[in-house]
Amino acid sequence: MDSDDSVTDPNPHHPDPSLDAEPATVEQMGSLTLGEAGDAAGAERPVGNGFLPADFYAAAGEIEVVEEGSPVSGDLAGPSSLGGPGACRERSGRGDALPSPSSSGYAGERGSSGGSSEIEEADDRETMLDDWSRGKRHPDEDDGSVSWRKRKKHFFILSNSGKPIYSRYGDEHKLAGFSATLQAIISFVENSGDRLKFIRAGKHQVVFLVKVPIYLVCISCTEEPYEALKRQLELIYGQMLLILTKSVNRCFEKNPKYDMTPLLRGTDAVFSSLIHAFSWFVFSNPKPKALVIWNPATFLNAYTCLPLSYSTRQAASAILQDVADSGVLFALLMCKNKVVSLVGTQKASLHPDDMLLLSNFIMSSESFRTSESFSPICLPRYNPMVFLYAYVHFLDVDTYLTLLTTSSDSFYHLKDCRIRIETVLVKSNVLSEVQRSMLDGGLRVEDLPLESSLRSRSLTTPELSSSQSGIGGPSGLWHFMYRSIYLDQYVSSEFSSPISSSSQQKRLFRAYQRLYASMHDNGTGPHKTQFRRDEDFVLLCWITQDFELYAAFDPLSDKALAIKTCNRVCQWVRDLENEIFLFGASPFSW
Amino acid sequence: MGLPAMAANEGIQLCVFDSRRGHQEGQELDKILFFFPSDFPYSVQLSVVGLSEGIITFTRIFSPDAACEVIEEERHSHVFYQAEPDIWMVMIVEKNKDNESDWRCDALIDVLKEAHSLFTMFNGSLQALLDKQPSGELARSRLYTFINDYLSDFYVGKKIQVPSFRDCLKERRTVQMLTVSREVAIEVQSLATVIGTSSLGSIACKSLILFQDLLVATTLSPGDTANMFTYAVLRLTPHALSSNTSSWSYLRRGVSGSSITASSGLLNSRSSPEEYHHGSHDSSMGEQSNRYHMPRPLQRDNWSKGKDGFLVCDIQLNVGGLVYLAPVVWLQQSEEHMYLCIYQHRSLTIIILIPVCSQTDGEQGIALVKKQLLENASEKIVHVEEKLSRGWGGENAYHVSGYRYLLVDTDKSISRTSPPGKVMTLAKDSLFTLNKLREEVDLEKTRANREKPDQEKNLEICIRAKNNSWIIAKITQGRELYMVLEKANETLLYASDAVEKFSDRYCDGAFSLD
Repeated sequence: MDSDDSVTDPNPHHPDPSLDAEPATVEQMGSLTLGEAGDAAGAERPVGNGFLPADFYAAAGEIEVVEEGSPVSGDLAGPSSLGGPGACRERSGRGDALPSPSSSGYAGERGSSGGSSEIEEADDRETMLDDWSRGKRHPDEDDGSVSWRKRKKHFFILSNSGKPIYSRYGDEHKLAGFSATLQAIISFVENSGDRLKFIRAGKHQVVFLVKVPIYLVCISCTEEPYEALKRQLELIYGQMLLILTKSVNRCFEKNPKYDMTPLLRGTDAVFSSLIHAFSWFVFSNPKPKALVIWNPATFLNAYTCLPLSYSTRQAASAILQDVADSGVLFALLMCKNKVVSLVGTQKASLHPDDMLLLSNFIMSSESFRTSESFSPICLPRYNPMVFLYAYVHFLDVDTYLTLLTTSSDSFYHLKDCRIRIETVLVKSNVLSEVQRSMLDGGLRVEDLPLESSLRSRSLTTPELSSSQSGIGGPSGLWHFMYRSIYLDQYVSSEFSSPISSSSQQKRLFRAYQRLYASMHDNGTGPHKTQFRRDEDFVLLCWITQDFELYAAFDPLSDKALAIKTCNRVCQWVRDLENEIFLFGASPFSW
Repeated sequence: MGLPAMAANEGIQLCVFDSRRGHQEGQELDKILFFFPSDFPYSVQLSVVGLSEGIITFTRIFSPDAACEVIEEERHSHVFYQAEPDIWMVMIVEKNKDNESDWRCDALIDVLKEAHSLFTMFNGSLQALLDKQPSGELARSRLYTFINDYLSDFYVGKKIQVPSFRDCLKERRTVQMLTVSREVAIEVQSLATVIGTSSLGSIACKSLILFQDLLVATTLSPGDTANMFTYAVLRLTPHALSSNTSSWSYLRRGVSGSSITASSGLLNSRSSPEEYHHGSHDSSMGEQSNRYHMPRPLQRDNWSKGKDGFLVCDIQLNVGGLVYLAPVVWLQQSEEHMYLCIYQHRSLTIIILIPVCSQTDGEQGIALVKKQLLENASEKIVHVEEKLSRGWGGENAYHVSGYRYLLVDTDKSISRTSPPGKVMTLAKDSLFTLNKLREEVDLEKTRANREKPDQEKNLEICIRAKNNSWIIAKITQGRELYMVLEKANETLLYASDAVEKFSDRYCDGAFSLD
């Protein structure tokens, strides 16, 4: 097991320098550069820096290495400086706000800031600290700790030789023995020609995902369905690819014992925020107000849009389209995890998973907020083998523009594009509309029109009926999610008062997860409708060729009324579709 | 786990091991008390046990109170049952490519539970056998014959077929009752009373009365009733005795009548001891079987009907100078050993259990009980049988037109189902979906038990499947109803209406909500 020290060793794993002499296959990757520590201005190919093995370069083209411990100050004024656009900044993590907006690589001290920055899932205990995103959770724990064993949900990434790569809790290196055990179990079954799916023991479930040479494991007592946990592992794998691309596999081909942890150094925050999105989760921001992370995208396979008037969204789309025509692969304007507008070049479309992973990556990395950035990222559903380049700029505290390109040297072009876009957005009041929409929130079940004559209600005019809060919507409707299959988009209502308590919301999230898994059974699904009543809810699900509706009602609701209400919800959503959905983005179709 | 060495072999492995044994290197085989198929190389057997033990240990890291229950692989399912504190039963089932091999893990675990409780009924606990004879040979030889005899019922053709999604409208380890009119019920009751008192002095016998393959009356606890009922339907009832007759009872495991016939023939040939002992784990097993008396209550054709109407068991042999009169069973509830004495009149099977302790002279005592029964009760028996036969609706007596259902009373271990012949008319997809739904409900039930152990679970799920059938599960007041409605109207209200009607009519309204 390698200690942290080995990371700074220039060449711990590749004693044979000739490996590095392999010509880069630029055609695949364009160029990706790794800025060498303390050598920000050095433009030479990194030789034996130990950060990525030779094969990784071969796959990735040129990679600019950013080493731990030395913020690289390639500033914008000197585009030739290799520390500039193109560094794998988030790889080295979180960190202090950098003085220069252009500085691209910097150090994050691994785990050292963790002490003050942990947060428990509400399940675990009630401690909620202000920012989970900065460090490793409980780095002092290992598999011998009682507290570690009692964690509700573990995630592990390891190599097929048993090297730990990531663990949600505890220090990876301390978990080497545990990791070897996992590897032994998985490999035993692999060697017999089979593949492990899951192990169940009481309320614990151990779910495996094998992506040779990477193994992913989730150990959970949250009683989520297997399909849900497996999908979470798929997303974690996708998040890893987003940071590294699949070419990391070559490292293992060359050296099965390869230690990958340095490659993911500093990305704890990215994974932990993704993991939080899997569960119902509360954290308190610096403000005491509790926020709920409720991200059904993690199981719905769809993204959601910020509600906006049609003309506002059109204005945003028009300017994005403008830049897309100038060599931008995707232009994406988002507010938190909600899409304001998305434009892709011809034929290219963005998979909802890629959007989820990309927005998670951006939002969980503090540095994106403090500077405009140009970062290599991979969209695993688009092409898991190559890096794209993401120009990211936060227009306000929650709203950010992402421009994706294949070319590593278009930072200045994209910066210009962003300036143009920002100007238009400000001038056409799009940004203020976005902020207003965030404040207004989304659909409220209380506003569900009673009569079809009220259909033309616009989102921006408050409804009278919202005054009847306290009982939810008509016929005991508490909540709904509507997914447009053609658009790959969903809309989810705000929580009505009967489910304002966090434990109710958590129950609802879990119930939806189970309902989704039940409806989308691999063998015979998807089913057409499902009605489900237990002590907590009445749930109704309705799947057609065009949409999926998931609705939650008071458990005592009348069946006939609930069905009627679902029909009305569908009508309502269709009436509002211009405001709650984004049209024109080509649906994901390959 | 796909075992490389067994690719072409049986699609099932069943293993019983004792986690306290065989800890020393080189002694690992001592762990294994039973392994099916017995001709598997030791190395493979050890690797199965090794993986199982490894996973049990591993899962205990996180879940100290509930160790591994299921390992699901792409091509195999492993189910675990901790039969006794240190005794584990593990079954590994291979998934076929023909898409027929979708099962419910709880249904597989029920097979292990049933095997173990039947074993215990005739042999006592494995722990007791191991205590009696620490080398484990006694336990091994008992398990060997018993489980192989038990598995013989799962053969369809040459292959063992475990319960699959096609069996999702059945519930193992429950009793099927015959519904009788009040008048008949009183007569049955009085017959049971006569049997109970017709014994020796003050010691009361217990009894089960079956008509065809259905239970009519019992004086045993629900658990013991379920075990004894299972055994009776497997080996004692007229259907079981004439194993060539095709049976409608679900306890005959075959898929259809014809395959049962085919498999029965095969089973008979299989039950020859030579074949069982071939390739046995312990090469001295043959001798062992002579040294230790090995009753084989589950051996086919063990029972036959004597002229006096009592069933005779081949076990009643003179072994080593001891005369074994009748098989002895162990009742879990009352913790008593009982002699088994079975009387059969046409479709009526009466199982009398005589406490062993009461018999200073077993043979005489049993003879006395038999005599008393014939003297005191034979008229009643004939009378009751006639009445029951007259009221008997035949195989499809419990068919409800338009419905395919399973009704389980979990508290009483009773179930009622649509006749298997009717269930067979359902589309594969409907059964498939119901099987999945039951799997989901199984998980919901265990979760509810964990979270709110003292609260009754209430749950209702109606699914409109892709093939337009309605798949319904409803749990309330300790009862479970599973239902498939094909060719039904598309509205949910229609489906719930249909459930209400069924519930009102057949379940005393237990599943009616309003």
